Amino acid sequence: MRNYLQKVKAWTIAGLLMVISVGAAFAQGREVTGTVLDATLKDPLPGVTVLVKGTTRGTTTDLDGKFTITVQPGDQSLVFSFVGFTAQEVAIGNQSVFNIELAEDIQSLQEAVVIGYGTQDKKEITSSVTNVGAEQFNRGNFPNPTQLLQGKVAGLSVTRPGGNPNAQPTLRLRGISSFGATQSPLIVLDGVIGASIDAVDPNDIESFDVLKDASAAAIYGTRGAAGVILITTKKGSSKKGYANVTLNTFGAAETASNLIPVLSPEEFVARGGFDWGSSTDWRKEILQTAYNGTVNASVTGGFDNTNYLVSVNYRNNDGVVKGTNRETLNTRFNFNHGALNNKLRMNVSLAYTNTNTKDVNSEAVRYATIYNPTAPVWESGYNPQESSQDREARLALANRRFGGYFQRDLFDYFNPVALINQQQFTNEIKSAIYSYRLEYDITDKITIASQFSEDRLSVLSGSWFSWQDFNVGFGRSGQAGQNQFDRTTSIWNGTIRYENEIFDRMNFTFLAGGETQIFKERGFNASATRFLFDQSYNNLGAGYVRFGNGSDMSSFATNATLNSVFGRANFNYNNTYFLSASVRAETYSGFGKENQTGVFPAFSAGADLTQIFDMGIFSNFKPRASYGIVGQLPPSPTLAIGLFQNGNRIALDADNPFNNGFVAPRQVGNPNPQLKWETTTEINLGIDYGIWNGKVTGTLDVYSRKISDLLFNTQVPAGAPNEFDPGNFYTANSIWANIGDLSQAGIEFLVNVNNVKLGPVNWTPSFNFTMYKRTTIDRIGVGSINLPEIRQATPGSPGQNNNEIVWNRVGQEVGRFYGPRFLGLTERGEYILSTERPEEFEDLGSGLPSGDFGFSNSFSYGKWDMNFLLRGSWGHLIYNSFRGFYENADGASNTWNSVITKNTPISPLVISTPTFSDLYLERGDFMRLDNLQIGYNVASRSSSISNFRIYGGVQNLFTITQFSGVDPEVRWTDDGNPLAPGIERRNTYFVPRIWTAGLTITFK
Amino acid sequence: MLRLVKSICVGGFVALATTSCWELEQEVLTGLTADDLANSPRPELIDVLKQGAYASVIGNWGGHGGMWSINEVSSDQLAIPQKGADWEDGGIWLRNHRHTWAVGDGAYNGAWQYCYGIVAQCNLLMSQYPTIEGLNAELRVLRALAYLWLIDNFGNVPIILETDRGGNPPQNTRQEVFNFIESSIKDNVDLLPKTFVKTNLNYYSAHMILAKLYLNAEVYTGVPKWAEAEAAIDVVINSGGYSLEPNFFANFSARNSGSSENIFTLPYDANNAGGFNIHHMTFHYGNQATFQLQEQPWNGYTALEEFYNSFEPGDARRASLREGQQFAADGRTPILDNAVEPNDPDGPTLIFTPRINELAPNALRQAGTRINKFEVPLGSPNSLDNDFPIFRLADAILMKAEAAFRLGRTSDALALVNQVRARANAAPLSTLTADILLAERGRELFAEGHRRSDLIRFGRFNDAWWEKNPSQPFRNLFPIPQNQLQANPNLTQNPGY
Repeated sequence: MRNYLQKVKAWTIAGLLMVISVGAAFAQGREVTGTVLDATLKDPLPGVTVLVKGTTRGTTTDLDGKFTITVQPGDQSLVFSFVGFTAQEVAIGNQSVFNIELAEDIQSLQEAVVIGYGTQDKKEITSSVTNVGAEQFNRGNFPNPTQLLQGKVAGLSVTRPGGNPNAQPTLRLRGISSFGATQSPLIVLDGVIGASIDAVDPNDIESFDVLKDASAAAIYGTRGAAGVILITTKKGSSKKGYANVTLNTFGAAETASNLIPVLSPEEFVARGGFDWGSSTDWRKEILQTAYNGTVNASVTGGFDNTNYLVSVNYRNNDGVVKGTNRETLNTRFNFNHGALNNKLRMNVSLAYTNTNTKDVNSEAVRYATIYNPTAPVWESGYNPQESSQDREARLALANRRFGGYFQRDLFDYFNPVALINQQQFTNEIKSAIYSYRLEYDITDKITIASQFSEDRLSVLSGSWFSWQDFNVGFGRSGQAGQNQFDRTTSIWNGTIRYENEIFDRMNFTFLAGGETQIFKERGFNASATRFLFDQSYNNLGAGYVRFGNGSDMSSFATNATLNSVFGRANFNYNNTYFLSASVRAETYSGFGKENQTGVFPAFSAGADLTQIFDMGIFSNFKPRASYGIVGQLPPSPTLAIGLFQNGNRIALDADNPFNNGFVAPRQVGNPNPQLKWETTTEINLGIDYGIWNGKVTGTLDVYSRKISDLLFNTQVPAGAPNEFDPGNFYTANSIWANIGDLSQAGIEFLVNVNNVKLGPVNWTPSFNFTMYKRTTIDRIGVGSINLPEIRQATPGSPGQNNNEIVWNRVGQEVGRFYGPRFLGLTERGEYILSTERPEEFEDLGSGLPSGDFGFSNSFSYGKWDMNFLLRGSWGHLIYNSFRGFYENADGASNTWNSVITKNTPISPLVISTPTFSDLYLERGDFMRLDNLQIGYNVASRSSSISNFRIYGGVQNLFTITQFSGVDPEVRWTDDGNPLAPGIERRNTYFVPRIWTAGLTITFK
Repeated sequence: MLRLVKSICVGGFVALATTSCWELEQEVLTGLTADDLANSPRPELIDVLKQGAYASVIGNWGGHGGMWSINEVSSDQLAIPQKGADWEDGGIWLRNHRHTWAVGDGAYNGAWQYCYGIVAQCNLLMSQYPTIEGLNAELRVLRALAYLWLIDNFGNVPIILETDRGGNPPQNTRQEVFNFIESSIKDNVDLLPKTFVKTNLNYYSAHMILAKLYLNAEVYTGVPKWAEAEAAIDVVINSGGYSLEPNFFANFSARNSGSSENIFTLPYDANNAGGFNIHHMTFHYGNQATFQLQEQPWNGYTALEEFYNSFEPGDARRASLREGQQFAADGRTPILDNAVEPNDPDGPTLIFTPRINELAPNALRQAGTRINKFEVPLGSPNSLDNDFPIFRLADAILMKAEAAFRLGRTSDALALVNQVRARANAAPLSTLTADILLAERGRELFAEGHRRSDLIRFGRFNDAWWEKNPSQPFRNLFPIPQNQLQANPNLTQNPGY
């Protein structure tokens, strides 16, 4: 799609030139001939313009790339040009045959930017949009497509703390955009709004376009408040009759890095730990070197107005923790055909992804760090005081009860190896997207289009606990469950597009359309306990108990509808002044009857000053300004309606419950019929610049946004009359309401330098950074509800279940840590804290970053190439939970092993009971060599191989940080809670270092 | 062509201007709307909904951190010793026991929300079925029960009626709440059934609410109402429907629904009405083997040594406390705690001793006797089946004894006290003082949620005991929870906080 329109334009221009050249042919001269090839693929290039320099005489190459042109005496040189390729000038001299190879021009390929329901020339864009093409992607083993963007776009944060292959990255565009509604940018995959990211393999992606400000996102109205990421997949080429087969495969070896140091068995015993007489490195027991493989194969091709892509992608990734795995098979078919002389264009896109995941109890990671290092994995050991009879009995008991594993009746004490082997959590994720699109040019100025798509996600989850699993299954004689979740999103839209030069040099584009989206969700859940044999979740009928503790049966379904109309007008005067205006009106079934419809307008304007003034070194200098309003949907469509859900199971006659039992309907959530749109209003000022003829390019953006009518599940006065629904009462302690205002701002900067010559080495660096003015809470309240603060996040058990450490206060930033200050230690090692009284707790800092940066580098040297990305974040604090619980030499040290990090006070050791203070808050600032790849293009003499590249690389080679925990990565949320950022929990998966080696072959 | 564009523009804006006609119907696929309920032809519905309102009382009464916890741990009978980091929990249970709680401590908000959850369920159901007289009468009495807890714990609380509309309710004085409870019972009690059903409120349990209110009238309003209290209790005692169970523990067994002594119970059920997990709160981790529990207990609540010592040797009720060496379910395999502290006097062998070395920070994990009053069947899940007695006859008898004692009829009182003692094989008393009466209530009603209220009425709540210093009288009311003050600006904090 990206340069499709331009190719059409190119044909038109080429046609005009042919007419001109016919006129020129009347003059006298000699004929020269030649062939033009694609420098990379060595394929003939049809349609290349061949022009005699300084004249209007020219021709175009035929379908075999051949041309014939008559040159006059005195003609100096021929210029070969083709859209998407770098033009070449060749002196004519006495030559009569010209064999030319044109190289692809990466810069010009980026010129078309996908903006939602269409594309736009980059120079016309007046809002904040960033395009990232395939050549800029991160390189390595990245199973999730958004990881390709990590560190590439100023203002887009892609974080995945820890290294679980099944963990999905957290995406934040320009920081926090909401509390209760979605905070993740909207994914639009080839026009399919809200598509599952699982449906596309990273290898099939051609480019990303990130719509950062509200004016760009407003065309997606309601769903664009957190920004929009448009993904364009690869298409076939329409060069006649050619098909390319590309095979890419790599292997990866992954090892856990950065394990938090713990005491050795000897040190543990010396601290008073109970000695079981063995020596076990628990991390070694649960970790592995994971050997992983990926294969991508694709066929692309086309003829005339038809092109296609078929691809198959297989990825198998074990995690560094034993028992974790993710295996994905993805198939994609993209087909485009132009009929009626390419006036009627059809597109079919089908994608199917099957993913199988295996996970372990995440607490295994914690127990592997703190489990007694003198304990054995298996019940064994010899105690001289123990009679052989007692020993036999002990081993027999362990065999019978725990499958031979060493387990003890102690609080929070589970053998991590047993935990991994005696519990299992699996998902089978099936994701299908099918999309059909028709476009018809009614005239050369008016195009109508319609697209229908369906995105289906089906997840079958299984969980299983052996009857010998001491953690859960033991007391219940085994437990197993299955959960089926289905989601279908159907979207139909129709658009009409008009493009014309309405006045002299005034180009006008107008788009109008309508869209209906239907969201359906459905779930079914069943679980049972008391199994005689371990039968996993594949035979729930073998469980005796089907309802009660650990067992259940339930189902649910929701439907919601979103109807929209939208329009957009773009004006381009003389390629100098640009103006864009759009509006979208949306009606959502899940809001209160009075508030279902929202209107979301946007305006933006810019001017290329280099077209007006002599700007010296600037080849492009386009200041722009934009303003837009976008909306947010609530997390469930039934929050406005007063619904009675399932309360207690009631036996009206306790002696005969089977004939007199019912489930009591109960109002579990408080209805809010006045629920309405959350809106984000954003102003963005920016500059697109180019210096020295495009040698240096970049953008600068400054934005400020205000979020109003924030959707949030807010606390209400217990039992009071429901003021949003007169006659109802608050049976629950919170209500979804539009409760607050937030404000936020930031600066984003990007600079690219193209092809810096370092002797024979070409270097293309790209640097971006963003600085956030962190989100401030202006108000929390609606009607008579008015909260001064929302406290969140307790460190957890043992002993820290009731002290919330992140306070969100009106007038302050979201996500500030509050607690006592650590002033020092007494000689014995007791805390000296500033206070113990919560009302005297101090603001200790923020868990949110003040900035992120990414520094991408691309080098080429002959047939060698190298890419690496350095990225990082700064300004965020992280609560190191391992230290917060397990570094003190207190009473707990005899049960659990202690961590001993570079930030742990050791002289004296702390002997107090662990209590939260800023002692456990660490600066999270980090810089990481995120990924590095070196490749070599093998020269191919074979006529059937056009490209052969071998490569190797590494991810997470090093991280520079003061943080002593597992991963200094920004925590935007605490297990999804956006009001508790900056907490590294004790079950954080270890971060792997990944080494890869692979090859890519393209066959003609 | 421009004309076409124009018409598209105009069409678009007309569409925008008339968006109100786009109203979409939201489908409901899971759950019921108020209309669904109103149009239901099922005759059982009202009964089911009423039991649903009772379910909100069952709710969080007997779970850790709720009403029961703050009323027991703040007394001279129970504490949650801190074992290193374990049970530190931000210090809230230490503060609860030592009467130094902060207004932001979460447990008080939980108790407030529990009571008002009952109020809201009752009000919602009354507003749905305003014409069903018997139902409304019963719900008003149920609501009065929630207000009895509110007046006792928080004092000055908003009265919310089923007819109220609008936002934040205004605060009422303790006297107003007292009058409201009194009139709620008096106006409705005659509409309640004179059956002896235990799991729903009836004519007699309504009188128990009234009796509790009058018994504490001096605390609540400054004006004692001993005679009124006795009159209300007499209605219950003389009903003929209740008698003391010969076996004290029959009232607390897992199948205690047939107890002749229990008057009003919360019918907990492991599967259908969960939330009673006293076994998890109190027993040692190792006791999982004793009861073959489905999950590991938490080793929290322990009885104070002084309370343990208040039982005379023959008193059957001393078995309310679990003491001594602990064994697996076979009764002979000793339970070992291999992470035992080096200073534990009897080593890894799990033995509950009455003595607790300290409340915090390093209480020994095996120290202190445990709550053993409620039967825990083998293989229990994390919720128990035992019906929790809110009111029972022994309490009524001791209340009558107290009323008689306060009115100067000490010998009447003594006879009543000895009636309760006799059932427990405790020797009869020959003299009676306020302190003796309080101690007797303590032994009889241990861990039933009455102790804090009793201590306040007898003027002993502010005393020093064990590791608790004397507290100021304002501590007789819990603070209005900070969250509620934030959510409802009409509320004023209780004096002293």
